[in-house]
Formats: sequence, structure tokens, C-alpha cells
Amino acid sequence: MKRQLHPLTFWICAILIAIGIVSLDNAAVSIAIVGATAILVYQRREGYPWEKSFSLSLKFGLAILIIRTVVGIVIGVPIPGRNLFSLPIVNLPSWMPGIRVGGNVTLERLSSSIHEGIIIATLIALFGAATSLTSPHKLLRVTPSFIYEVGITLVIATSLFPQLSTSATRIRRAHTLRGSEKPSLRRIAIPLLEESLSRSLHLAAAMDSRGYGVSKKRSRYRPQRWLTIDSTYLSIATFLALAMVIA
Amino acid sequence: MITFSNVSLIYPHSTKTILEDLSFHIEEGEMVLVMGETGSGKSSLLRLINGLVPHHTGGILAGDISVDGISTRLVKPGSLAHLVGIVGQNPIQGFVTDIVEEEIAFGMESLNFSPDVMRKRVEEILDLLGLAHVRDRSIATLSGGEQQRVAIGAALVMHPKVLVLDEPTSALDPIAAEEVLSILHRLVHDLSITVVIAEHRLERVIQFVDRIVYIEGDGSTSIGSAEEILRTAELVPPIVQLARALNLNEIGTSVREVRRNTEKFREIEVDPEPRPLVRNEIAIEIEKVSHSYGNSMALKEISASLHKSEIVAVMGRNGAGKSTFLNSIVGLHAPQSGRVVVNGIQPAFLKGQERRTAIGYIPQEPSDLLFSTSVAEECRQADRDNDVAPGTTESLLHRLVPGISATAHPMDLSEGQRLALVLSIVLSGNPEVLVLDEPTRGLDYRAKNTFGVLLKEFASTFNRTIVIATHDVELVAEFIDRVIFIADGEIVADGSTLDVLLSSPAFAPQVAKVMSPKPWLTIGDVLSALEKTP
Repeated sequence: MKRQLHPLTFWICAILIAIGIVSLDNAAVSIAIVGATAILVYQRREGYPWEKSFSLSLKFGLAILIIRTVVGIVIGVPIPGRNLFSLPIVNLPSWMPGIRVGGNVTLERLSSSIHEGIIIATLIALFGAATSLTSPHKLLRVTPSFIYEVGITLVIATSLFPQLSTSATRIRRAHTLRGSEKPSLRRIAIPLLEESLSRSLHLAAAMDSRGYGVSKKRSRYRPQRWLTIDSTYLSIATFLALAMVIA
Repeated sequence: MITFSNVSLIYPHSTKTILEDLSFHIEEGEMVLVMGETGSGKSSLLRLINGLVPHHTGGILAGDISVDGISTRLVKPGSLAHLVGIVGQNPIQGFVTDIVEEEIAFGMESLNFSPDVMRKRVEEILDLLGLAHVRDRSIATLSGGEQQRVAIGAALVMHPKVLVLDEPTSALDPIAAEEVLSILHRLVHDLSITVVIAEHRLERVIQFVDRIVYIEGDGSTSIGSAEEILRTAELVPPIVQLARALNLNEIGTSVREVRRNTEKFREIEVDPEPRPLVRNEIAIEIEKVSHSYGNSMALKEISASLHKSEIVAVMGRNGAGKSTFLNSIVGLHAPQSGRVVVNGIQPAFLKGQERRTAIGYIPQEPSDLLFSTSVAEECRQADRDNDVAPGTTESLLHRLVPGISATAHPMDLSEGQRLALVLSIVLSGNPEVLVLDEPTRGLDYRAKNTFGVLLKEFASTFNRTIVIATHDVELVAEFIDRVIFIADGEIVADGSTLDVLLSSPAFAPQVAKVMSPKPWLTIGDVLSALEKTP
């Protein structure tokens, strides 16, 4: 078993590095950081269901990168530079000034779109990594109870997300075994939605009947201690973030 | 301890009263069973006790419920956390943390108990429920029985005066169920905790309960001692049906009592009726199939052949390899070694229409297959999928459960109705082989009986093979010809239901326990044997 880190460690690290990435605004560094994060996630995996959220966030980030690039090619402010190819210009009504659909696609325009896409995708991957490295249950235990309602929503959201993918697999399997190899989205989504709704209601009811949020103060059973290793992670992240902000 | 006075309940957007003018009183240290058909309002009644209904669900509540002098109308469920412990139908959905110890401490943390009190109480509970060896395990890796015990422990650690459990054994195999129930029994007797429990499988709980709250189909409710209620109730466990069939003066609730009253019946000498196993053509051939997940072997070189028109039950403890066995038959995965052939085809290669006519599969959650907004639409879709005349599925459904509304939303149906809907969707393709995974949890005796009769009919009229994984001993005894018993990935017994069930005391049905050593599994067996004696 790996050393248990404080549930906030990776979240704080993710926030710090995210600040660094945004202020540095460098695609190459971002990609390097995603790579390093992937290695870290791989090293610390223990087979929990929420660990899937990292690969999910990578896919999501990739989708955003693609969308951002396509949108950047089709719509946008013309940036002068080396012309790659041209798209036909669509005439927009006069009340939409400053937006152009189509037109010349320059290398600069393309690269700035990809660049932005990479930065956004990196941010998503960072938080995906934080989710997959931290047990949502543990995270709940450190949330102060004055944010009771928010806390409940948070647990439900974080514990539901990984369960969703497990349930989706199960439902798709049931349909495959019924002979529909490529079930329509609806066939999967409706049972999935039904299940997640009832699951979240159950969890909320269970938390409520066990007195969650009743007392203003919350005690801790074997409080999660802040260990040296937490400080190590945090100082590395702070250092990186500072370096990126200053650079 | 708990007083219901003139309680009526209606949920929002519904015209049906769930409970009507219900009054009763439960004393401290009583164990009370709430029974009734599926969808009769058992869960609502249980959740009224700690105020989850109506605080969490909405609805109009008339009358008053008080627990230890506190009216649940006035306080939120959280404020009753120290008084009422509640364990839901599916404990895994209610777990807030992921480690056993932390889960048990969660409620105390919320109520701001001091750390040393928490340490002491967690230790107590771990010992009381025999969970000390799994204290720092992740809950997701525990067996069903252990998870149920963690849920009970998490409720008990608050030292509640009332413990409420909704179908605590429905997902458990007979042995794990017994563990859980005997713990409850001990709590009632040693700590004088009041226990209110809802359960469909009456045969499992009936011997432990003091009184019964019986919610009838029409919404009327009766309360009384177990004997009183069971004398007239419609839903009764096999042991009571036996007493009725034999015209005994007294009905007992435990095997011991009924055995005392039936001594004379066991003295008759009848030659046991030979019940040959079906030996038709082979439909499913399983040859030395092994399967492993990572390092753990789920199936170890299993071989079996199943015949046409045979109904086979696959039994065994949770995690014994039943599901993997079913998955190999339906072809979810090709076996890692060995061979499975279903009517001449390897099931892993089946697709589309060919699959629908070859193997019908009902998953553990039947609703996984439902996605339409009404029953009628669901049936029409099945007609299209299976290429049968419009209306086939619907008429099948109406034969199964008459009076199901065509415009109802599938998710609003009761558990039994939903199973019937999925069953008719799958059966409208008239598959050669029908495979069911734990179909009867959440079904009451009547629904289970309809279901069993249908299976028998389907197998015999169409000469079909049915494979069913189940923990339900009584269902197996009543309707199934052959049992394959799996333990630790190996077949440990394969034979007629009679031989397999009688050889294991934990898996023997109630009638067999009462009538032992006579080889009678069901009331029908007993009666036909008695008829033959002069």
C-alpha cells in the first residue's frame, strides 16, 4: 500500500500549477507537465474506480483541443502571416461586426488556436489527475461542515462520476448481449440517468439520516495528518508555479 | 418506543394513498417485521420512522409518528441520528467513505463526538460484528455479507434505540443472510434494541420476529404476533403453507416447532418417487472452461452439459464464480481456455438477430434494458427488434402480469412488473436458451410463483433450456430440475435438485428441514406422498 497523502495535497498542487501554466502560457511546457502528471497518476494507481477520471479528462481535453482548432480555422479574427489555405468567406449580417467566417487561414492563426486548445486541455488534465489521485470520500471528510449543502453536492458529484462509467459499461454489455452491438445513445443514457438519479438520492438520504451537517462542529476520527511527503509535493508544485509565473 | 397514530401518507403527483390510518405501538426490545407485496409501502413505512419520509421525499403526512417521545414531523432525519439507525436496501449506495473504520466513524464525526469516544466505540462495533479483520480494507472489496455488516455497524455505533433495516438479506446467499440475521437477533436480546425490518424472504426472518405489521394489497394494515398474522395472511413462508396444507392446528414459525407437530407425517413409509433428470439432446456443452481475472481464477476447468427443456439453477456463495459461469454461457467473453457451444454455435461470436434467437439474457438489473417512456413503446420496440408481428410482446406481457398499464413509465413499475416486462421483451424473440442472473430479488411470493410457473411452461412447451443463477432456495426447490453448485470456481455438486439441496443443510429449503430425513422438498412432494399412503 502506498503512503496515504492528505486529500487536499493534489488539489492544491493542481491549482498552483494551473496558475503557473496560465501565466506562463507556453504549449511545450504544458505538454511536458501533462506527461509528468500522467506518469505520476500511473505510479500511484491502486485500482480505485475514480482513477479512471484521468484518462477521461485526457479524452475530454483532446476533444476540446480539436473543437478549438476547428473553430479557430473557421471562425475568428484574421491574423496576418504565412497563408496556408483559404476558405470561402461567408457573408454575415451587418449587425455582427468583427466576426468572420471562413477566409484565409494563416500559420499564425492555426498555431494560436492549437496553442489555446493545449492550454485548456492541460488545465482539464491537471484537475482530472487531482480527481483520480484523491479519494472523493476522503475529500469530503476534510470539507468543513459550514458548507454542508455544497459538501453534499460535491460528494455526490465526485462519487457519481466514476460510478457512471462502470454503470455505462454494464448497461452497454446488457445491450450487446441482447444483440444490439451498437446501441443508440438513448438506450444507454436513459437507464444510466435513472440509475444515477436514484443513487444520488440514496446517498443523500443516507448521509442525512446519519446526521451529516447537524452539528456545527465536526470532530475527526483519526484525523488525516499533514505528512512530510505532502509538504514535499506541495513545495515542488509551488516552486514550479513560481518559476512559471516569474519566467 | 415507536408510536404511529392515525398515520396516512400520500406522495406528491399521486392519487394513491400509500398508508391509510395506520396506528400501532412498538415496545422497546421488540423485533418487528413489516411485510406486504412489492410496492405496498413497506419502505415508506420504514422511512417514516426516522423522518426521511416526508422530509426527504415530500408527500402529505397525516397523523403523527413519535420515536422515544420525539415527533418525527418536527425534526429532520439528521437530528434523530443518535436515536434511529437506518440501513437501506442497497448498503453500497449509502456508503459515504471508502474504508471500513472511517465508514463506521462517519456518523459520530458528524455529531462531533470526541476522538477518544469514537476510538472506543469503533473498536466495540468491530468486535461485535466480527469486522476487526477487515477494518482498514476498502468497502468495495468486501463480500455482500460483510458490506451489510458494515452498514449495520455504522448505524449501531451511534448507540441507537431503534434499528431499521430494509431487506437486509435480499442480495445475500443463505449463509451470509443467516450471519446477518443472527447478529440482529443477538442485538435484540442482549442490548434490547428495537428492530424494525422489511423482508420478502419470510422464510429467512420469520423465526426471529416477535410481531408483524402486514400491509395488505388494498392498503389496510394489520398488526399482531407472528402466529396471528400468518394464520390468515396471503403471503406466507413455505413453513406456514405446509402447516396449512396439513391442516395443523398450530402454525409454527420455526423449523423446530413445526417438526414437533408433524412427527406422525414423517413416520409413513413411501417409496420415493424416482425423478429422472432430463436427458434430451444437449443444448449447451461446456468443456474444461477456465477463466481468470488478473491473478484470481474465477473458473477452474469446468465441464457440464445442459439439455433441452431442462431448467438448471446455478448456486453457490457470493463470489464463487456463478456470474463468470453465466457470462461464459452467454458469450460475454470467449473462454480463456476450454470450449462453450450453445446449440452448435460458440456464443462469443453471436451477433444481432442471431443472438436474440439463440440466447435470451436477463441481466441482474433488468432495467438496464429499458429505455422508452412507456410500456407500450417498449413492447413495440421489442416487436421491431425481434421481427415479430406487432402486439406479440404486449400480449405476452399481459399474460404474465394482467392489468399492467400500457402508458405507464417503465421506471414507475414495481420490481416484479419490471422483470415481467423485460422477460416478455426477451421471450418475444423466442430464444433457444434463456439465461437469468438473480431474477427474483425483490419479488414477493406471489410474483415469484407466477414467474416460476412461466419458466416451467416456457421450457416444456418450446423445449428450451433455462439457466438461472440464484440464492433463492425455495424457488429452486419448487421449480427447478437440476442444480449445479459452484464453490471457489469449481463445480462441487451437479445433480437433481433433490440430491443437491438435501445434501447441504444451509441450502435446504424449509419443508425439507421440517420433513428430514424424508426426501421431500416442497409441499407438493409431501402431499403426494401422503396421498399414496392408505
